Amino acid sequence: MKNITLLFIAITALTLSAFKLVDYAPSTSKTTEDVAPKGYAIGDEASDFSLKNIDDKMVSLSNYPDAKGFIVTFTCNHCPYAVAYEQRIMDLDAKYASLGYPVIAISPNDPALVPEDGMDEMKKLASTKGYTFPYLLDEKQDVYPLFGATKTPHIFILHKENGKNIVKYIGAIDNNYANPEDVTERYVEDAVDALIAGTKIEVTTTKAIGCSIKDSRKKK
Amino acid sequence: MKLYALIAFVFLLSSATHRIKTPPVRASVNYDQLKEIIEKNDDKLYVVNFWATWCRPCIEELPHFLEVSSAYENQAPFQMILVSLDKAELLETDVAQMITKLNIDNDVYLLDDNKRMNYWISAVDSTWSGAIPATVFYKNGQKLHFTEGQLTKEELTTIIQKHL
Repeated sequence: MKNITLLFIAITALTLSAFKLVDYAPSTSKTTEDVAPKGYAIGDEASDFSLKNIDDKMVSLSNYPDAKGFIVTFTCNHCPYAVAYEQRIMDLDAKYASLGYPVIAISPNDPALVPEDGMDEMKKLASTKGYTFPYLLDEKQDVYPLFGATKTPHIFILHKENGKNIVKYIGAIDNNYANPEDVTERYVEDAVDALIAGTKIEVTTTKAIGCSIKDSRKKK
Repeated sequence: MKLYALIAFVFLLSSATHRIKTPPVRASVNYDQLKEIIEKNDDKLYVVNFWATWCRPCIEELPHFLEVSSAYENQAPFQMILVSLDKAELLETDVAQMITKLNIDNDVYLLDDNKRMNYWISAVDSTWSGAIPATVFYKNGQKLHFTEGQLTKEELTTIIQKHL
């Protein structure tokens, strides 16, 4: 019992010191500051964009006058996490597009660095899987930095307020990429449900491991 | 007080066994267990690299990480620990194969704690978005540096030199 108490004290002390570092210490890494994209914060207005879809047509948020918001999903063909979440992204669109919150998927990677994330490969995957949502290529790689996306998958939920698209949630789809059967926190569904119900979104930002966005202009 | 005695004892024990080459660890751990491994009060510089077998930039940087690790491991109080973020069931297959392929002699832990990612990613570093590779440097339980993204051999060496 004494040992357990000691262990508990030790762990608590370590945990507290870790939080202290995170909360108060000045950034210990210049590198992080240099590469960290600014991006949107919760409550910011997201700018519209115009990106090429898998049907070769350009898509903008303004093409959806009836939408109440959007589930903007940075994802791609190659990343194992994106692959693991593919069906769940399709399910989100199936569930929420008709309720006014369609999925807008954007592939942010440079196909020169990852050939399987090129437009032709995107077209093939979308048609094989039967995507019901646009799957856009961020060809100039100027949309993902605007959002502050750093990895795939990376979700940004937008809500239309007075004609503006306001960022309401940033992060992961849920808390278990590996096993959809063992998900206990459905972050995106909870956030969209709250928007639909007009209630407060409890968890507005989450983190999950993902594949870094492949861009030759920055550190990988 | 007893805690200090316990810690001191563990130090003595670890320094006594320091020179004996033990086989590298390959084990699945949760974040709390990993924390105890990388945040030790033993004056060693811990370089902790988060990677995965499927992560190209990770596999790209690992060879020079291993070179740097070999150069320092017997020269200085230094240890490089590789933390795989592969699925737990891949430890004996994909991860083991990559360990053999890259001739990895370092301790490799598979962080099997994916339902708590939202907790431990921020606990490792508040600026970490969750993209890998990512590398964090600790000494005596203090975080000295964090990088999200690749490090070149020169960058890695510079950070190590600064904090040894």
